[in-house]
Amino acid sequence: MADPIKPDQILDLKGLLCPMPVVKLSMAVKKLQAGQTIEGIATDPGVMADIPAWARTSGNELLSIEQQGKEYHFIVKKTA
Amino acid sequence: MADNTAVSKALQVLERQLNRPLMAALQVCARCGVCAEACHYYVADGELEHVPAYRAEELRKVYRRKHDFFGKHLPNWVNAQDLDEATLEKMAEMAFSECTLCRRCTFNCPMGVDTPLMMRALRAMATASGKAPEILEMLADAAIEKGKDPAMFRDLFVAQVAEMEKELQALVGDPNARITVEREGARVLYVALAGAHTILPPAAIFWAAKEDWTLSIYEAANYGVFLGDTARAKTIASRIIDEAKALKVQEVIVAECGHACASLVWDAPIWFQEQFPFRVRSLVEVMAEYVQQGRLPLDPSANPEAITYHDSCNLARTSGIYREPRVILNAVTTNLREMTPNGLENYCCGGGGGLVALPEYDDKRMKAGKPKVDQIRKTGAEIVVAACENCRLQLGDLNAHYSMNVQITALADLVVKAMRLPKSVAVPLPNAAAVAVGE
Amino acid sequence: MTIQLVTGALALAALVFSISVFASRWAQMQRLSFAKDFSYPKDSALKGILYAFTLGMAPWAKESTRIHMLAYLRGIAFHVGIFAGLGALLASPWFDLIPTIIRIVCAVLTGFGAAMGVAGGIMRVVEHHLKAISTPDDHASVWLVTLFLAAMTLALVSSAFVPAMWVVAAAMLVYAPIGKIRHCIYFYFGRLFFGIHIGRRGVVSGLIEHAIPVRSEVRHGR
Ligand code: SF4
Ligand code: SF4
Repeated sequence: MADPIKPDQILDLKGLLCPMPVVKLSMAVKKLQAGQTIEGIATDPGVMADIPAWARTSGNELLSIEQQGKEYHFIVKKTA
Repeated sequence: MADNTAVSKALQVLERQLNRPLMAALQVCARCGVCAEACHYYVADGELEHVPAYRAEELRKVYRRKHDFFGKHLPNWVNAQDLDEATLEKMAEMAFSECTLCRRCTFNCPMGVDTPLMMRALRAMATASGKAPEILEMLADAAIEKGKDPAMFRDLFVAQVAEMEKELQALVGDPNARITVEREGARVLYVALAGAHTILPPAAIFWAAKEDWTLSIYEAANYGVFLGDTARAKTIASRIIDEAKALKVQEVIVAECGHACASLVWDAPIWFQEQFPFRVRSLVEVMAEYVQQGRLPLDPSANPEAITYHDSCNLARTSGIYREPRVILNAVTTNLREMTPNGLENYCCGGGGGLVALPEYDDKRMKAGKPKVDQIRKTGAEIVVAACENCRLQLGDLNAHYSMNVQITALADLVVKAMRLPKSVAVPLPNAAAVAVGE
Repeated sequence: MTIQLVTGALALAALVFSISVFASRWAQMQRLSFAKDFSYPKDSALKGILYAFTLGMAPWAKESTRIHMLAYLRGIAFHVGIFAGLGALLASPWFDLIPTIIRIVCAVLTGFGAAMGVAGGIMRVVEHHLKAISTPDDHASVWLVTLFLAAMTLALVSSAFVPAMWVVAAAMLVYAPIGKIRHCIYFYFGRLFFGIHIGRRGVVSGLIEHAIPVRSEVRHGR
């Protein structure tokens, strides 16, 4: 998933434990304009399941999510 | 009034919630005021709004206007009040940000008034009328979504666990140590929280105790509980209950987390009106049992630091788990310093009731945590142990906010540290304590 | 004689009213749902209930009543007076048959109760937070009951006051089930549910350890 997307914002979620990554992400997404993207970097493996589930319920688009060593990177696009 | 949908929805929920215990709570308060100091919010600032009876009266006023003789005909006589949208919003904010449902007031009330039950009713009213904090709804909905389609993340989870298994093997020095996921017929189904920190240490303990266990793919947290929304709470809990039934386990063990334990052990059997074919216990109870049965090779001198234990309200007052942590701590530490008061009389850390997940109330939360900070400081402890994830998050934030300079950790972490392992390879535990939580 | 008959009939009618409204409240409570609890109990509910109604009411059993010891003892004395007063009320048609000594003991209890009622009424206005959470109903209730206790004390001392006492008692009995005094029946439910909670969930044994001073060293410490 080597994506060329350059996110509008980067959110450092490293060290945060569940549910804080999702909480912080959703707060940050709220402040975005529709169409903008945000990249989150977390260390809690729980995000690999939680972020996709959150994206589905919140109606935002998850462009990518992947593990890079001990970190988890994901990019979300605000849709509405 | 009928035009105001939020208000009428809230009132409908109040009617639906009216069962015997709620009715008792609404009727019995003598307004004697002795519960004031029971509440950590009141201890923190001495404000009238933080007297538990004051909070409860907010709901009672509305109830009386509808149902009480004087409330209907002479409202001022009993301070009865019609519910309007502004009041509903104020009450919702109070129920979600100024009460952590810690039950300390109930235990201190001569009548046994269940103020948290009323605050839960208020939360339910707020949730039904769209006045609940968005984040809690989002977390609950995300959990439900996960349950709808476990295939979406199952493989990924299994892969993550496989990596953890390697860490476990290194940690305990046994290449045969296993973490199985959803293995049918295991005696125990362990339900962790998201993240390795609640999986690896318990895995090491299960390994040492030779437990026949397997790991759930779900997390134990249940945000539906905080919303007072039984429908959502049930859906979230049913993921685990169905999983446990399918795997035919004898016991479900819940990670070190207060609300997760209380809701699965005590609430779920009532929600579902069913006796489950398995027992549900907290990891804390099980670890204490292992200690008492001598199933763990422990050396308390591994934890010589001054340590204090913070009782989670949901474990102590709600679930009767206050002895077990001490059994464990006495076996794995050498310098335990109790807070005053502690156990069943402990103060809430200020993070309960879902508050840690609500950044909009950070200030209130830090303020309400002050009594806990003072208690901890008085013990002179270097390490604060808590058997609840919400408490640990809050204690971590308090630690940073008040520069307490303590370490926050879970019971299982200390147990693992005290375990004499055959040829333990030094692998750093994914310790919640080392992590600076918050901003 | 007629004044006796009229006031006595008034008190009796009020008593019947009071009992029937209380009974209907009780029945209403029983009609409400109370979900069956299917959880595996950690200890016995009965043990919790017993504690809730006995040791759990001891002044030293709770932090709140330790802090507010005087206020709590005042409340207890007030309520002891009330129970004595109600007992006396039931016996009041036959006061002349009751031995003086019993009347005196009863008068002491109700008299002291009345004094404690006055103290309670005053507390409710001078303590800021207490005043703020009180409703007019709360003030009226404590003064009405206090008046009844005072009247009962006089009636116990001299039968000449019996008709006056019956009038006050009638007012109190009519007011009781519709005003704040009705908490007297909900008290049983409040304590019952609390007792079930602490019993089933294994909290009660820890509370007992706290409440029995002999074993207070159980507080785990350094
Ligand atoms: S909740 Fe209990 S302690 Fe508090 S004022 Fe009411 S009766 Fe008194
Ligand atoms: S449950 Fe806890 S936070 Fe809520 S009013 Fe009672 S003492 Fe305060």
